[in-house]
Amino acid sequence: MDEDTEIMRARDFWGALVLMGLSVFFLWRTMDIPLWGGNRAGVSSAAWYNSAAIVPLGIFSALLALSVTLLVISIRAGGAARALSAAGTGWNPDETVRFGAIGVMLFFYIVALVPRVDFVLSSGLLITALTFGFHRGLRRRMALAAGAVAFCGGYALILHLPQSEWAAHDDDWVALIVWVALTVVMLRRARGDRVLKAVPYIAVIAPLVLVSAMAFGFRQNVPNRGGLLFKQIEYHYYVTIRPIWRS
Amino acid sequence: MDFVLTQLSGFAGAFTDLALDPLTYAYLIISVFLGITFGALPGLTATLAVTILTGFFGNKIPLDYSLIALLGAYVGAIYGGSYPAILLNIPGTAASAASAMDGHPLARAGRGGEALGLTTTASFIGTLIGTTALLVFVWLLLLLSQNIASPEKALLALFGILLSGTLMSEDLVIKGWISGLIGLAMAMVGLDPLLSEPRYTFGWSYMLSGFQVVPVLMGAFAIPQIIEGMRHMNTGQVIQLKGRIAPNMAAIRRYMPTIARSGVIGTGVGALPGVGEDVAGWVSYGVGKSVSKEGSKFGKGSLEGLLSSETANNACIGGALIPLLVLGIPGSPPAAALMGAFKINNIIPGPTIDPEIILRVVAIMVLASLTMFIMGLFTARVFIRILRLPQVVFLPVVMVLTTIGSFSVGGGINDLYLMLGVGFAAYFMNLLKIPIAPLVIGVILGGLFDETFRRSLLISGGDLTVFALRPVAAILLGLNVALVLSQVPLVKRAYMKLKGRAA
Repeated sequence: MDEDTEIMRARDFWGALVLMGLSVFFLWRTMDIPLWGGNRAGVSSAAWYNSAAIVPLGIFSALLALSVTLLVISIRAGGAARALSAAGTGWNPDETVRFGAIGVMLFFYIVALVPRVDFVLSSGLLITALTFGFHRGLRRRMALAAGAVAFCGGYALILHLPQSEWAAHDDDWVALIVWVALTVVMLRRARGDRVLKAVPYIAVIAPLVLVSAMAFGFRQNVPNRGGLLFKQIEYHYYVTIRPIWRS
Repeated sequence: MDFVLTQLSGFAGAFTDLALDPLTYAYLIISVFLGITFGALPGLTATLAVTILTGFFGNKIPLDYSLIALLGAYVGAIYGGSYPAILLNIPGTAASAASAMDGHPLARAGRGGEALGLTTTASFIGTLIGTTALLVFVWLLLLLSQNIASPEKALLALFGILLSGTLMSEDLVIKGWISGLIGLAMAMVGLDPLLSEPRYTFGWSYMLSGFQVVPVLMGAFAIPQIIEGMRHMNTGQVIQLKGRIAPNMAAIRRYMPTIARSGVIGTGVGALPGVGEDVAGWVSYGVGKSVSKEGSKFGKGSLEGLLSSETANNACIGGALIPLLVLGIPGSPPAAALMGAFKINNIIPGPTIDPEIILRVVAIMVLASLTMFIMGLFTARVFIRILRLPQVVFLPVVMVLTTIGSFSVGGGINDLYLMLGVGFAAYFMNLLKIPIAPLVIGVILGGLFDETFRRSLLISGGDLTVFALRPVAAILLGLNVALVLSQVPLVKRAYMKLKGRAA
């Protein structure tokens, strides 16, 4: 067996265990759905074949059976023996840092920034952080970029957790300052690097065009309409620009 | 004869309507351009192109324009994958992997212009072959599908998921089936379709309406690509293009039988539920290698090899739309994304679909392939410049595109949480070589399977023989059982023994 297959079988070991756990959990949750003629709000579910649990029971039982099969295949191929070492599963420190940094950025962007911070600011920060962090594959840059997004996201999340506070603007200002600071750091290290020099333009233009197209072109909902920049854009679109062709 | 004439006149009417509308061309040019760009950029796929455009055009413009945008992007992206395959030896999409085998040696030999001209022509002819098959077979199947009831639909949905799992697995086949089952399980979330019983909602009202297709598609296809692509990587040396990008008519005439055969293979593979353009390309390439007199030259810069894969992957598009429109079962992962667009427009593909929509789809496919052909010949150098863009530049923009597209489809911020969750799960599934396509097919077909399976049991009073006593159901049940048994080692060994004895 080649090295790649051995690594795969070690990963299969953990994958099978997770799948088995999930299957058992959801089989247990399926027991809450009436199967044998249960009675809900005075209406009888009549027979087993009419139950809403019948298909999920089949799916999770099949999933459990297949995960056990996968576990057996993995153990027979020596996956269990290799599974306890990081090298055995093909996971190295560089990859851990890289994945961790992306994971942190995407988590804080989606969970903390998009709902609470102006879309142009949060997306500009993300584009700058992702490109600066991963362009050269340097660990320190990844950590710095992830730290910048995590700081802004953490600030918004901690200070404005409930939905009633999402319209506050202090987190917008924090994101703007951090974005500008990160851009300055990036440009200072961008000597001769055309990619990094182009990032500030992309980071401003891409989210600005997208959010404007979505809001005014397709007339769809966009995240955080009351955001620091979007509020101004929307005001000037309806008050300053639109009347030009409406009149 | 009447049937053919009716079909042709219906198609002509739909084609004329679209061709006379100036907005058609605006949507065509933009969508085909975006599609080719997505296909040409390694790391972005045809499925992602259709998914992202679904977020933007899916339900925000009239259906005709929405279909133009999505089908244009689909056709363009499958074709666009050939650019990096030929010039960088990196397939832009999985569908073009086989094209790299002969396309890149041709480019290295200074015949890049000729190779691109041929792939453009082959993709155009391939799309037309698939579209013709769509026009003819969709009606024949629609007539047959009138006799398909709940048991057959349930078994067909199951067959689609199993087949997709079997053919899309790079590693163990059970991983494909696991993926399909995860997709089916995800489709169980929310109110059940017959009794409105809440399932796995954990008290969260958002979950009552179940998982929305578009955020699941965005998460499954975009997030893993972004996580995987964000690394330091040299963009590779783009081979200097020599010669004009023009169709070599002598070669086209010479290899017409190959093009026709590849078109038929691509359409056939596309018509199989859940099996995509990559499989079509490889199957056609494999068949071409074994039947061609020049088979020994395949992989060394053979024009026939290049035409085999490129014709088939584009012909697959028309094929993939046949089961989608007739049965509501997507024939490929991008068709699954298209199904998502139909769903958010409240159109249910299947035997009850409005025939007008089918004719419009066919007309759009013809217009899209023409646009692709013209753009391929005259603006190819623009796309070649795009190849030099590093992934770390465009993937963050894709993340922003995905976010705003997913948000605006309807569910707001909760859809983004769903997208992120599915995305991380899909990334780990990729690490385990569990294919994502069967999961998506499972999510899309899960509701249909649940409803039709239980309705069959309800009508038969819980008698499971309902799945075996109807002729079509019996055939489908046989296919499902045969598919599963064919992967059981004990059965495989017994089959090999029997084969050995017979020999």
